[in-house]
Amino acid sequence: MRSPLFLLLVLSLGLMPLGHAATAARTGAFMHFDGDWRVASGLPEKALLISLQGLANRTAPQLYIIHPPDFQWEITAPLFEFYQRKHGVQFTELKTADEALTRFAASAKGYVIWDPAVGASLNVAFTIAGLEDVVVVTPALVPLVEKHGLKKHEDLTGRYTGQTDAQIYTDAVNRYWARCTHDAIMLMGGHRGAVRQPAMADWGIRQKMFFHDLSANPVHAEELALEKRLFSELKPGSIVFGWHAYGKDTEEQHTTLLSSYGLKMEGLHNLPNLSFNCQFTFTPGFKFTNNHHVALDAKLTAEPKVYLSFVQSDSIGIGVWTKPGRGKLPFAWQVTMNWTKFSPAALEYFHESATPNDYFIGGLSGPGYMYPNHIPADRFPLLMKEAREMMATLDEHVMEIMDNSAADGNVGNTDLTKETVDRYYAAFPDVIGFINGYGPSRTRDLRDTRPMLSYDYYIDPRRPREEVAADLNELIALNATRPYFLLVHVRESNDVNSLVEIVKQLSGPTEVVPIDVFLKLAASKKTYTTRYQDPDEPKHFKGYK
Amino acid sequence: MRHLRFLLASLLLLPLVALAATSPFEGRWKLDRERSTALDGWHEWTLEVRVNGSQVALQHDMKWGKTELSATNTVDTAKAVALPDFFRVEQRHMAIYPAKGKSTPVRAAWLDAGRTLRVEADVPLEISQGETVMRLYSEYRLVEGDRELLLIELHSSRPRPLVYRFTKITAEK
Repeated sequence: MRSPLFLLLVLSLGLMPLGHAATAARTGAFMHFDGDWRVASGLPEKALLISLQGLANRTAPQLYIIHPPDFQWEITAPLFEFYQRKHGVQFTELKTADEALTRFAASAKGYVIWDPAVGASLNVAFTIAGLEDVVVVTPALVPLVEKHGLKKHEDLTGRYTGQTDAQIYTDAVNRYWARCTHDAIMLMGGHRGAVRQPAMADWGIRQKMFFHDLSANPVHAEELALEKRLFSELKPGSIVFGWHAYGKDTEEQHTTLLSSYGLKMEGLHNLPNLSFNCQFTFTPGFKFTNNHHVALDAKLTAEPKVYLSFVQSDSIGIGVWTKPGRGKLPFAWQVTMNWTKFSPAALEYFHESATPNDYFIGGLSGPGYMYPNHIPADRFPLLMKEAREMMATLDEHVMEIMDNSAADGNVGNTDLTKETVDRYYAAFPDVIGFINGYGPSRTRDLRDTRPMLSYDYYIDPRRPREEVAADLNELIALNATRPYFLLVHVRESNDVNSLVEIVKQLSGPTEVVPIDVFLKLAASKKTYTTRYQDPDEPKHFKGYK
Repeated sequence: MRHLRFLLASLLLLPLVALAATSPFEGRWKLDRERSTALDGWHEWTLEVRVNGSQVALQHDMKWGKTELSATNTVDTAKAVALPDFFRVEQRHMAIYPAKGKSTPVRAAWLDAGRTLRVEADVPLEISQGETVMRLYSEYRLVEGDRELLLIELHSSRPRPLVYRFTKITAEK
């Protein structure tokens, strides 16, 4: 007769869930957003749901949002599929805000009301949301959230009526800044006025960031002074998430300013789902391997022809990656290296879907988007150490640099000073080389086997293709010495198919090569001049000194 | 006889005098973007032409977003000139720049009974391989009716001409 203990053991084994040794499947919820971000219609509900997302995702990845195919970030749907397939996440759809609140209202302790007539009040509300675990609502949405048991925590309507942004944010700093994280800050700018797209707010709420859209434009002296104070109080190496406010200042002004404090920019203001993405690591056993075409110590010899290489440096989540034709030409893709920390699944997705013609490079300028001519000398080494570590993780051998501090959009002065170039060569002894620019640029060097080349051409997606071909042929005709190294920057909204057609129209012996091959060839035969930023050249924005 | 010589001289000088005084080229001309080669790195282009004897001032007023730039090339149909800051309407997404400190030799002439202004320039440029020269050949042509100006520009280095059409927006000063 079997003993009772034996029987109990057998019974227990029989009741043990299948796959006990395996990790339990993750579950989560998702919602579809439409494209209506108008303050007068779709934005208030979206702001509520994004704030709810930040709270729901505080300790577990519970809510993911899929945006329409024409949203600036095109990867939300592919990444959603990736989470299901590679991470085994089982999602349930939530179709309405009411359903979302039914599921996640318990993540919130209340709500804060913002004033649609005072744009900055939304940012103040987001700050409060992160500190107090509340969702953000307009007065019209109060009944909905109260239906789910949430109580009013704060009401910003009337508090800031008639005040300037400088006054509003000064008040917010006095009330909330001390309790916010000082490792990061949320520049929730971008779209202003009738349309707002604060899709990154979930991340700022989860991380308890201070939200603002202060101006870095010197004409807004009070806002600039307050922003400088905030930047000076952030910890070294902190990240400014979000994006500058359209129409208030420029990308160039804001990135120049934060770079001068040794801070990093990570955009955009509408990058969604970071509160979800940050909680996934690479899948077990995954290791980044790049499509290297040459070894680090390889030596190549350039032939007497024109070598072209194409690079896209806007974040690959918003651009050509998902458009037709990728893989038909060698293409370099600048990777947002910080995504190793807060969106690793996205990086693994890009790696997984790379073709043999896709090659990943580091940038922009360092461990985040920065203008290196303005990075304080004493901050540079530590920042670039961080960049080297991320490049090692991502198996990248090329660093892309961009300094638009003196540029006028994508034209004008984008050169690096000699001091900056010296610092890069010292900080990156093991790269194949460097590339520089966004629009065309003229910083060039060759030290030992590492060239630094700038873009000789920038493809504006609106430029007629026959003129692009004529432009490239003109560059080929003017740069008559062979070999000629023609580095081309591809704006993110181009598509590779059109580039294939353009290449067919180029004159003479030409060859499109991957960027690592391009730089190795350029190292073998220096037909380009050595050049740095000339102090006499005009600067569109002269800086803050 | 003296009267005849005087009359003959007057008749010969009349076109030049007439051109200087009432040249239909003079005035402001706005680029018709729809009917022109695409600009690159500029959104708007207004051309102001002023004729003073043999000199023709070609003032280019350019816009790029909120940036405005005005530059004038004064050419001379009587003699070649060297312009220290020759302005070329560039395709600005190309790494081609004016060579620093270099003057541009420019030759100009009236053609077609004063209805075409030909401008030839040997423009010193900086490129990634150092310096080079672009031969620039331009014809500014008055279209019948004098309300449109056609600019055809050839580069020695470019396989396609650049063709710009302008519409007159003001009378001469």
